[in-house]
Amino acid sequence: MADKVKLFVNGQEVEVESGKNLIDAIGAVGIEIPHLCYHPALGADGNCRMCLVGIEDGRPPIVPACKTKAAEGMKVLLDADHIKKIQHDVMELELINHPIDCPICDQAGECKLQDYYMKYDGQKSRMTVKPVMKAKKLDFGAGVVHDQERCILCARCVRFTRQITKTGELGIVNRTDYARVNIFPGRPLANRYALNVVDLCPVGAMTSSDFRFKQRAWFLTKSPSICQGCSKGCNIFIDHNREKYKDDVIYRYRPRLNEKVNGYFICDEGRMTYKAENDNRLTTGIVSGKETGLSEAVEATRRLISEAKKTVFLVSPNNTLEQMYAIKAFAAEAGAALSGFSDGYIQEGDADGYLIQDDKSANRASFELLGIEGSKDGFDKAVADADLVISFNNDLSKSLAEADLNALLEKAQLVYIGTSLGTCASKAAVALPIASYSEDCGSLINIDQVLQQFAVAVVKNEPAANLIEVVQQLGGSVAGVKEARAGLMESVAALKDVNLEEVPEEGIALTDNEVSNVAA
Amino acid sequence: MQVQVLSARFDIPDAHKIEVAKENGAYSTLEKVFSMQPEEVIELVKSSGLRGRGGAGFPTGLKWSFLPKDIDKPVYLAVNSDESEPATFKDRYILVKDPHMLIEGIIICCYAIKSNAAYIYIRGEYTTQVKALQAAIDEAYEAGYLGDTINGRDYKLDITVHRGAGAYVCGEETALLESIEGKKGQPRSKPPFPAVEGLYGCPTIINNVQSIASLPFILTNGADAYKAYGTEKSPGTHLFGISGLVNKPGMYELPLGLPILEVIEKVAGGVRDGHKLKGIIPGGSSTPVILPDEAEDLTLDYESMAAHKTMFGSGGIVVLDDTVDMVKLVENLIYFYHHESCGQCTPCREGLGWMLKIVKKIIRGEGEVADIDLLLELCDNIEMKTVCVLSAACTMSTRSYLNKFRHEFEAYVNGGASTQTAM
Repeated sequence: MADKVKLFVNGQEVEVESGKNLIDAIGAVGIEIPHLCYHPALGADGNCRMCLVGIEDGRPPIVPACKTKAAEGMKVLLDADHIKKIQHDVMELELINHPIDCPICDQAGECKLQDYYMKYDGQKSRMTVKPVMKAKKLDFGAGVVHDQERCILCARCVRFTRQITKTGELGIVNRTDYARVNIFPGRPLANRYALNVVDLCPVGAMTSSDFRFKQRAWFLTKSPSICQGCSKGCNIFIDHNREKYKDDVIYRYRPRLNEKVNGYFICDEGRMTYKAENDNRLTTGIVSGKETGLSEAVEATRRLISEAKKTVFLVSPNNTLEQMYAIKAFAAEAGAALSGFSDGYIQEGDADGYLIQDDKSANRASFELLGIEGSKDGFDKAVADADLVISFNNDLSKSLAEADLNALLEKAQLVYIGTSLGTCASKAAVALPIASYSEDCGSLINIDQVLQQFAVAVVKNEPAANLIEVVQQLGGSVAGVKEARAGLMESVAALKDVNLEEVPEEGIALTDNEVSNVAA
Repeated sequence: MQVQVLSARFDIPDAHKIEVAKENGAYSTLEKVFSMQPEEVIELVKSSGLRGRGGAGFPTGLKWSFLPKDIDKPVYLAVNSDESEPATFKDRYILVKDPHMLIEGIIICCYAIKSNAAYIYIRGEYTTQVKALQAAIDEAYEAGYLGDTINGRDYKLDITVHRGAGAYVCGEETALLESIEGKKGQPRSKPPFPAVEGLYGCPTIINNVQSIASLPFILTNGADAYKAYGTEKSPGTHLFGISGLVNKPGMYELPLGLPILEVIEKVAGGVRDGHKLKGIIPGGSSTPVILPDEAEDLTLDYESMAAHKTMFGSGGIVVLDDTVDMVKLVENLIYFYHHESCGQCTPCREGLGWMLKIVKKIIRGEGEVADIDLLLELCDNIEMKTVCVLSAACTMSTRSYLNKFRHEFEAYVNGGASTQTAM
């Protein structure tokens, strides 16, 4: 437990954590100090001057809250007239050269300038002279488009490329109101986290070429979830919207704070994985090349299973813990061999020591927990005499060369229970559509053994069945996520002390100490 | 009225050369300094009452004593030679005419603060001065006054000259440090103060050229000899740069405490025939303007200036006569500070540009009375809300013109455009 100090805000005594700056310390007890340039991941810069607060009997009497540590007995003034006037004046000055083009700005609705104008300014413009004109829609590379006129020079983006990615592509050139954020000529943003500057930008100066002009922020439903682009399990928001007469569509992923997993950021590749949730989806059953309903595809699959001499269930390292449990149980019941072969999901040498991992699957750690064997040898042995392979959303074309896959499919038929069109769906004797993770829920264990859960975010107009339902329809005994969790807690030693029905938002670290801590 | 303390060797031909300077006393006080303990040197400077000559007038010896005791980091001296405040032209004389006085002062200061490395941050435009200074430093190394031993003593000192790249704000202590470190010249938030965490994160003392150049005299002749000049609280002498519409503009060394009107009249020859004194900028462009009748009892020292709600500043006195258009002068003033704002803090970055545009609007004859009031309000809104005092330098002076010459602004607003010049 961190040390506490008592201080006064507007004369009222509050107890806050010591060692933190006033913005964070006082913010933690629900009192907002307005700020634009300060960001907890980037530290205090002190340039925006919006967080100036009064310190009664202090020297100096006005200090930037971002640079001032909470101290015992401090008398912080926030609602004094002279402090309110500073907030008002700084907002006026932030806005005199701002284009105020909110109607066409992507940031509108989640813009600090808008929010603070309403809260701290609210006066009519007194600008009767020409504002400063600057450049617009500058392509900074990596999908980042910059508008210098909207920029308030808080330098969060600059500090991000200096402190977090340490690539330093951005800088502020020129002085005074000619100052502007820019890249060096011919040297665009070239790091794998560049799009975080769009989230960091408190105004609409940094926009994503992928997202800009597509949706108004206030129409988006922002559902918490877990990125499944790699084994890090970064926490995200899935921002989606069902426009009138259309389907629920995902427009972007944004990072969601989890100090124990990803901090404030996510990588650009992971951010773009939302596209696979929208596009190229398997939406119907396919039997012998013809589109069918799900029930026909299920029927066909049941027939294939009953006719097969030997069946192999191919689990995906992207299946949730619950899904894996249901498939494993079904395999035992159906007498099928089980493999988690998925070498193609691993890109050796791609990890960067920060968030990006070699393993591009979200839940390989659960293989170990459930004793699912994933080696190529094991797979080869299992399929050697098999005449039916059922892939549970495992894209075998990633792990096998085309010739090897074709050779396999000459002696064995493939059933693909999956989310996406592609090689597997087209080569399969039967393909069955299932809900993808944005439409499903479950538990994942990341590369650092942190167990996290995600809930259903998107509900399609015509929802696909989830994987556990399909397994059940094929003859599996696990009725749903709830039953799977009960079974897991009962049968898996490592989960004995974990309540899968109540996993905290930041996840549970499955190391011995952590589990005992959580259980207590 | 003129004295020769700092300028003692200015009139001697070739005094910038080390042999001539030595013949006339340069480096003669080093033996005495080295026989003292560093703390004794600090005490002596403290008792001399020497105040920082960069403009703020902070007691030099006291500044040195803020260095933390028992530190395991190197201590640096940064000599501020970024002389860029409009109307200030004093340090350049020292750099060209008697650079060895500065070098000797640096040795004394570094010995007192136990530093082995000094930087001279010199304004980029000072090409003549940087050549003269570097030549003198080379001579001093050659003669054994700098380097691994100083004058035969087991004490090491190196001086590095760092040229600025043309930013007024780099005269601000911490922007100066950023610039030496190779970064964009932007002031740092304080605390931490440079004496605790300065250049490269190490304790650093930053002194003006003239402050450092005053040390050889003080160490040679003692604190009392220095205090014989000036007033009790503002002792010593100062290199005053007198410019503007006077008959004999120039650089004059004077003791502090002299009546300003008498100095303008007797030293600078007074305003031109047929013209009347209209106002005085007492210490560089950032200091609030003084009206002739306010100047009656104004003397050239820190206390009298403060009592008249202005500042001693850098000793750059600008004399304004009845031909000066104060509105255009203010435009010129804001133009400068706007141009030199580092752009870091919102109020200064955005506000000074706005003020400039409003003044231009008034000059174009498109202004209203409300614009004059808006200017005054903006002065309040911007002042002291920023990391450094650059914006305050602009607003404090601008406010003084708006208040003392409001009728001239109103004349523009009311269509009576001036035929006077902006200086």
